[in-house]
Amino acid sequence: MAKSTFRYVPFPITSNDVHPQGTTAYRPVAIATITASNGNSVRWIVMPDSGADDCLFPLTLAIMLKLDVLQLPKAVTGGVGSQANTTYYDNLTIDMGNGIAFGAYAGFTQGMDSVGMGLLGQSGFLESYAVEFRHCDKIFTVEKP
Amino acid sequence: MTTTIADIAGLLKEIPPGAWVAISEEKNAVLAYGADAQSVFSEAQEKGEEMPLIVRVPDRGTAMFL
Repeated sequence: MAKSTFRYVPFPITSNDVHPQGTTAYRPVAIATITASNGNSVRWIVMPDSGADDCLFPLTLAIMLKLDVLQLPKAVTGGVGSQANTTYYDNLTIDMGNGIAFGAYAGFTQGMDSVGMGLLGQSGFLESYAVEFRHCDKIFTVEKP
Repeated sequence: MTTTIADIAGLLKEIPPGAWVAISEEKNAVLAYGADAQSVFSEAQEKGEEMPLIVRVPDRGTAMFL
């Protein structure tokens, strides 16, 4: 069965009232090949997110994949800090390497452009793979049950 | 594809916050960066990299709640 281990990556958090000396956020991210329904592919950074109903990417990625965004099915979606995001959907193939590859009816929304990375959510990803987070060891594993 | 995420952190050190970056994973090098992701992608392809890794440098170091 396909199983792959990935390392957490440190992201520096700059000084603020909460963390006057700054701090470090360790995030479980990986590199994946994202292929759209039109066959175009881009290499992109992704992060598992159990709080996301679907896999979700920046709208910029849809444009780079040469998808005709205005022709895609769309829905209004919500998240922390924003409750009315127009999200456009396409059937993607997401390949994280080592046999971890899956199809997902995934969204693209402008609100994700500032985040930059893609989120791997319940539909398509977590419904198909078991993910174990071991923050204490700064690794996470993705395995086909 | 041999690049790891750890390699990328080092590559992005000198890139301005908010920029989109095209990286050659084979060469472990930044090929292009700028404010427009499509332009960065195109520039990398013009340099012979058919499928560069595209990364966005965070605007600022803030905690995330997604």
